[in-house]
Amino acid sequence: MAEERLVLGIESTAHTLGFGIASTTGKILANVNYVYKPKEGGIHPREAAQHHSLHAARGVIEVFRKAGIDPKRIDGVAFSAGPGMGPCLRVGATLARALALKLGKPLLAVNHGIAHIEIGRLVTGAEDPVVLYIAGGNTLITAYLDGRYRIFGETLDIAAGNCLDAFGIEAGIGPMPNPEIRAREGRELHPLPYKVKGMDVSFSGLLTAALKLLKKGVRVEDVCLSITETVYSMLTETLERALAFTEKGEILLVGGLARSIRLRQMIEAMAKLHDAKVYVVPPEYAGDNGAMIAWTGALQLLSGQTIKVEESKVRPKFRIDEVEVRWRSLSRSK
Amino acid sequence: MEEPKQIQVIRIGAEAIVSRLRWNGFDLVSKHRVPKPYRVPELDRWIRDRRTIREAKIIVELKRAGVPAPAIILLDRSSSTIYMQYIKGVELKKALDRLDPMKVVEIAGRLGEIVGRMHLRKIVHGDLTTSNVILDEAGRIYLIDFGLSSVTDDVEEFAVDIHLLDRSLESAHHKLRERFMRNFLLGYSKIVGRERALEVLGKVKEIRMRGRYVKRGG
Repeated sequence: MAEERLVLGIESTAHTLGFGIASTTGKILANVNYVYKPKEGGIHPREAAQHHSLHAARGVIEVFRKAGIDPKRIDGVAFSAGPGMGPCLRVGATLARALALKLGKPLLAVNHGIAHIEIGRLVTGAEDPVVLYIAGGNTLITAYLDGRYRIFGETLDIAAGNCLDAFGIEAGIGPMPNPEIRAREGRELHPLPYKVKGMDVSFSGLLTAALKLLKKGVRVEDVCLSITETVYSMLTETLERALAFTEKGEILLVGGLARSIRLRQMIEAMAKLHDAKVYVVPPEYAGDNGAMIAWTGALQLLSGQTIKVEESKVRPKFRIDEVEVRWRSLSRSK
Repeated sequence: MEEPKQIQVIRIGAEAIVSRLRWNGFDLVSKHRVPKPYRVPELDRWIRDRRTIREAKIIVELKRAGVPAPAIILLDRSSSTIYMQYIKGVELKKALDRLDPMKVVEIAGRLGEIVGRMHLRKIVHGDLTTSNVILDEAGRIYLIDFGLSSVTDDVEEFAVDIHLLDRSLESAHHKLRERFMRNFLLGYSKIVGRERALEVLGKVKEIRMRGRYVKRGG
């Protein structure tokens, strides 16, 4: 067996500054995360970036302390290159470059979306799933085919998480999971725009319509019920289409919204119809985290996908289908 | 009259069960929108009924416009079922990889014309993938599954059709994608006009750029 190598991963695409250490054999040695919480409203990129700068040094010390290793033991430094907010991405990238140079180790630029998928596969044991990646800033359905994660469906406007968070904030009950919790007291379902186009979805019209219901004086619990049921039904339906299209037997839910209990229920009911197995990334790895970057960095180290410091620009619009997924064709022991 | 007899289940789709039936000497297809246990019942009924009616109306309209699609024979709203003409053929998705390159070019061009004619009638397919194009034994192509179709004036919706087709090629036939789409667009612009085709294409690019990362609150 090849010798075990260790990778430090740094995540900073949005509200989370995360640090993780993973081995090329699939062990997570440490996962340390600092989450910026805006006083009100959504994320302000500059404020989030300041939060990240403030916690950067402490995070590096903490992750090595938790893993119980000396920084010199590291064989590579990985960072989240995108997609994400420019100012936030640059904090993680700068830190990673400095550490890679200081320690004299290779630098690894990781796609944030792929990191969500790979940590999901690692911790759940899903082998070749159709993936629903749902988070505050991302909604997509993807599966591995011919060397890449191909995108089968995505949002045509705002992300599912963004839709529910924005609704919760506007309604004065706060972001997810609050809309879902309040929905449990909902009694009446109001029709909202149900926009499914093939495997793609659209949420912005639905958000506007839900806010209109509130203004008309409909009970907030009923609007919560209507918006969550509609959003989740749309996601489940598009996922069902992708499952039928790809003919795969596994489903994997990753990203922050994978924590949703109701969505998971719906997807499990759908999967039963198709004899598919459902895997859900556990809460610890559902939101943005450093471990997922470390693990994907470790995979990239195995397949030789490192990057030179001078070429390591951040990529706010980095798509997952731009990445050559060489590690999945390596014969890794399963 | 005898009752239709089910011969074969053609497709258990994500949304509906499509079966082949034999009825008074005719071959028919039934498309039954099945209740989805994962949706709350009221939402489920509403979605199925709305889609069944919309699909039937649109097919009738498309047949008038000369778009090759299965003809409607009967509509049963109580069970969300449409009975229609049976077209003997295979899904383009399954045929594409073994067709010869000249045939692929020809089909792509013809599909472009057909989609152009549909768009001229202000109808979008809504799920335009290679699974929803049938190639018959004579080499003719038909559009099927108008379950997500709608009538619209919005350029963006037309662009979504083309975007979906492009992405189904990209994900399942990425080696053929470029050639296919180039010829598709030639056929398309022949029908809708160059200017209109460019306008729609511009939107397709915009959609590709956009669906990627939307900032919270942004």
